[in-house]
Amino acid sequence: MSDTKREETEMTTRNRLTRRRFMTTTAGAATVAGLGGLIRPAMAQEGAQLTPVGEMVTATAKEGPYRIAFSNGFSGNSWRAMAVAALEAEAAATPEIAEFVTVDGQGDINKQVNDIETLINQQFDAILVIANSGSAVAPILREATREGIVTAPFNLPVDGTDWSTYVGTDPSKKGGSLGAWLSDALGGTGKIVALGGLPGNSYTAAGWEGAQAAFADGIEVLAFRDAYWEEDRAKVIMADLIAAYPEIDGIWCDGAQVGAGAIKALLDAGRPLVPVTGDDYNGMLKLFDAERANHPGFDIGLMSEPTWQGIFAMRAAVSLLKGEEVPKQQILEPQLITADNYRDYIRPDLPDGVFTDTSLTDAQLREIFGA
Amino acid sequence: MSAAGSLEALGRALRALGAVWIAVTLLYIVSGLVSPSMFQLGQVVNILQVAAFLGVVALGQVIVILTGGIDLSQAGTITLTNIVATSVMMGQPENIAAALLICLALAVAVGLLNGILVVVIGITPLVTTLGMNSILFGAALVYTGGAPRGEAAEAFEVIGTGRFFGIPAPTLIWLALAAALFVLTRRTVFGRWLYATGANPVAARLMGVPVERMTVAAFVLSGVMAAIGGLLLTAYVGSPSLGIGNQFLLTSVAAVVVGGAALTGGLGGILPTVGGAIFITELNSFTNIVQVTTGTQFVLQGAIIILSVIAYRRLSGTGR
Repeated sequence: MSDTKREETEMTTRNRLTRRRFMTTTAGAATVAGLGGLIRPAMAQEGAQLTPVGEMVTATAKEGPYRIAFSNGFSGNSWRAMAVAALEAEAAATPEIAEFVTVDGQGDINKQVNDIETLINQQFDAILVIANSGSAVAPILREATREGIVTAPFNLPVDGTDWSTYVGTDPSKKGGSLGAWLSDALGGTGKIVALGGLPGNSYTAAGWEGAQAAFADGIEVLAFRDAYWEEDRAKVIMADLIAAYPEIDGIWCDGAQVGAGAIKALLDAGRPLVPVTGDDYNGMLKLFDAERANHPGFDIGLMSEPTWQGIFAMRAAVSLLKGEEVPKQQILEPQLITADNYRDYIRPDLPDGVFTDTSLTDAQLREIFGA
Repeated sequence: MSAAGSLEALGRALRALGAVWIAVTLLYIVSGLVSPSMFQLGQVVNILQVAAFLGVVALGQVIVILTGGIDLSQAGTITLTNIVATSVMMGQPENIAAALLICLALAVAVGLLNGILVVVIGITPLVTTLGMNSILFGAALVYTGGAPRGEAAEAFEVIGTGRFFGIPAPTLIWLALAAALFVLTRRTVFGRWLYATGANPVAARLMGVPVERMTVAAFVLSGVMAAIGGLLLTAYVGSPSLGIGNQFLLTSVAAVVVGGAALTGGLGGILPTVGGAIFITELNSFTNIVQVTTGTQFVLQGAIIILSVIAYRRLSGTGR
């Protein structure tokens, strides 16, 4: 085997994220050791892929241990709570990290820029970011990068390339996969409605564009509505759509809170349940589990926006600080959750708000959700 | 009777009931012509069900606005109610009573605090309640750590999704509360004092109206109505969400203003506010159904609300 070939093989193995490996750390560590020592177990989902995109990059190496900060755009939902917890667990388990702090932008674009400014002044070695606005934080991240700080945006992209490394999903591709699943679930013909997130957000826009491109010709889109990623908003909107359209055969959503709200509206209206897309929101899985027997037409095609993706941003940052090369971008491809495998994800014992494709242990989840 | 006289009589009648009802009817006819599904009985029932959440909250808002204040902490109260109710209930029917008591007690405390800050410390209602809104949202965030837990008990969900004789339960609760507040504002000394406080606090004080106590009482009523609205919404959706109250921050004010109340106080009423809530919900529902983008939806909603207020003022001759 040539060196390049071996590297490729190792890369693929490392990037094949397996839930089992994470769940059984000891067994995982043994497997990992066998694979060459570089690999660390922190993988949540069976079959999820992390694909390097663009050139390999380096940064100025520094002596450890490192001080790492996370500028969180806002913290008002369980996805963010789990994302922060995943980072905290990773930081605690990483000997190279001496200090890890999170600052909360409170949903305010300007506050987040100020937050990052403060982190630069406090001379953190690396700054992780989920941006409230990909254009607003670009200049301040450029400044940080120029001052030798490793900058690692994740989850939501930042304009330009003046940051060190990025980890995230490809919303357009994800939306397309969900669209293709829905189209197939309807046998290529049917009338659907689509429910998105906050008005004007680029994540939903990209996903919906991908979805529309993936629909078969026989799929008729009755309506697209912004539903704020809120269950109550989605339920109210869906109730109106139900009144307007006597036939709704499927629902495309990029978040399953919205899907759950829409399904509850169908239930209230006494209508048959239909195939729906979304993410790994526990409330949706519980709803599917409870209603699938009564509604043979009910089906789910879900793809997580992994709450554990920040871990890979953090690892990339640490690698850069140690003088190692990392890909400029790493794109996550989560696996589809369907009727066949949802039992691996559903958590009947935990609240609806849990995103079940998680790197967190049961004990950590119970602590976060006070369950 | 002269033409001017009959116009004046029409104006008086409209002031009592609220010209908003003309707007409600007109919008209904127009939206039904554009989208015939609006004419279905099922959709009428649906609109009345959804309008109940905003309607109950706006009933509290109008009380405060009658005194010349404004309550922007209702959104925070709704969110906190939703978070606390679901986490106390944990899906268990035996916890419903405790959840209700805690939520209502919280709402009374919030109202008292708002009122005291306005009356005793002299901070304007806008600043006080905006600050309070932020505190309440922050409290919900601290309480949950960003990860809300719990769910509504199935028995409790009846008040959000149930029907009695075909009428949604939240609508019945809304109308009952509106009837009670109508009597309170129009047939009692308390009601007269409320209007007097808002119309001219100085004159009211001279006439012996306990202006300060009326202001505090209005904020308490507003908080309690927000909590009841939050509880109904919780029963409707069944699960907790930290963003659930946000949309009410200004829609509750909009419903009151569309109902013809003046933000300067002393002018407005319960029945027009009921109409205002129906109007806003009807408008939302209509723009949900017709094929427009969310941007167009916002523009349409804003424009129609402003137009309806102008039309109302012209018709009822209040000139404000």
